[in-house]
Amino acid sequence: MGPASASAAREGVLAAFNDFRVQIDDYNDRRERLIKISRDITIHSKRLIFLLHRIANDDALDAQQRAAECRQKLKPIRAFFEAASDELRGQDFGRYSQSLSPGVQEYIEAISFSHYLEHGTLITHAQAQALISTPAGEPWFPLTHSDYLLGISDLTGELMRLAITSSGLRQGRHKAAEVCDFVRRCTADFESLTPYVNELSKKQSVTTESLKKIELAAYGIAIRGSEYHDFPRSFDDDPGHGRPADEAY
Amino acid sequence: MDPEELDQINAYFERDAQLREILREENAKLDKKVRSMVGTLSKVHSTPASDFPGIVDVVRRTLSGCNENLLAIVSLIPPNQLWRWKETWAYTIRSIVYIAAFTEFLASGKLISLQEVNDMVGIQETWNDRLEIQVEDYLQGLITLINELSRLAVNSVTLGNYDAPFKISIFVKDLFAGFSLLNLKNDSLRRRFDSIKYDVKKIEEVVYDVSLRQLNNPPAESKAA
Repeated sequence: MGPASASAAREGVLAAFNDFRVQIDDYNDRRERLIKISRDITIHSKRLIFLLHRIANDDALDAQQRAAECRQKLKPIRAFFEAASDELRGQDFGRYSQSLSPGVQEYIEAISFSHYLEHGTLITHAQAQALISTPAGEPWFPLTHSDYLLGISDLTGELMRLAITSSGLRQGRHKAAEVCDFVRRCTADFESLTPYVNELSKKQSVTTESLKKIELAAYGIAIRGSEYHDFPRSFDDDPGHGRPADEAY
Repeated sequence: MDPEELDQINAYFERDAQLREILREENAKLDKKVRSMVGTLSKVHSTPASDFPGIVDVVRRTLSGCNENLLAIVSLIPPNQLWRWKETWAYTIRSIVYIAAFTEFLASGKLISLQEVNDMVGIQETWNDRLEIQVEDYLQGLITLINELSRLAVNSVTLGNYDAPFKISIFVKDLFAGFSLLNLKNDSLRRRFDSIKYDVKKIEEVVYDVSLRQLNNPPAESKAA
């Protein structure tokens, strides 16, 4: 190889790598943008969860007012979904959706919590997808089964908090039993799916821990309730009932 | 969970798992060919350069035969699901890039382009929503080539081929310059890129040893004559 062809070869290599640099930079930039959007969705979803905890036991609000408050909190998230959908068209969804997953899962956790409080049931995949869609009902991007499952797996932790808090309140005692039943069914359903979703099996142990705490709360109510058997009113006036132990938190 | 919904989700994952299993089997067949080619190519370390064309021929025949395996894989992948199944075949594809690039270097001393790799194994443009060599896979394959060439530089000299290290040195330096243009993050490509500086250094040492003793000039053939 003479010096002329040698330098031509070098030019060729450098030109090709310049092209690769553009592609790699584009990939990294897009990934970063999605990670940022994912964080934003997470922050807003967490706020919604806090709001739900605040209003869940607030008797001053009726169902409509609660729903309105939730919608208010959901509004900013829509803009993030719109931004994300621009980055996730066609093939890009498969390539980049992982970067958005943490945010989507947190969002599922929030909307499934809100759904549970409103209806007492588990949000279905289709209902969740509808909440990741344009006002016209067009999905911003597909909700994967694993994001859906991992999101509702986290829901059990929120329900544990809800059950413990409400077990200390007069009007909330029956909730512990309801939640206990619900979480137990969720845990059983997830079990059959753990072989397919890697992270789900890790979360299953957290879910089981939550379930145990809820069961303890329900137990506390049952045992104290039996003491006050003949005087239900005085049970309601006892502020400490339904809390089996402090570590249950 | 609603029992019907649970069944649906279960069925969905079940189908996924089955397809993954079949794809793994198909990939294993391809991988077998790849390993045999890597084995054949490793003979260059103990073969005089004049016999390289024979090795290249054998390898390239197997390489074009990989098309049937790739076709089998691509026909299993549903449309638009390239990224979903990529991990089942990506490692094998990287080895194919390495093999194709090595044969091209042995045959012409040039760097094979991504398109030329596609042509060599018959990867069609129309497959690009299911199976496609990504830039990252191509670059990974080239790094494997660089690792291998530093060995070849050493072993050629052992066999009395004193020109090879110079050719290898120019080729690897160009590639290294190319890699230096990339903004790599902390991923596996970056880690492997960090490793090639040792290869570059090794090749430089061989070139230095040969030049110091003036073994390359006059060339080996004229010395024999």
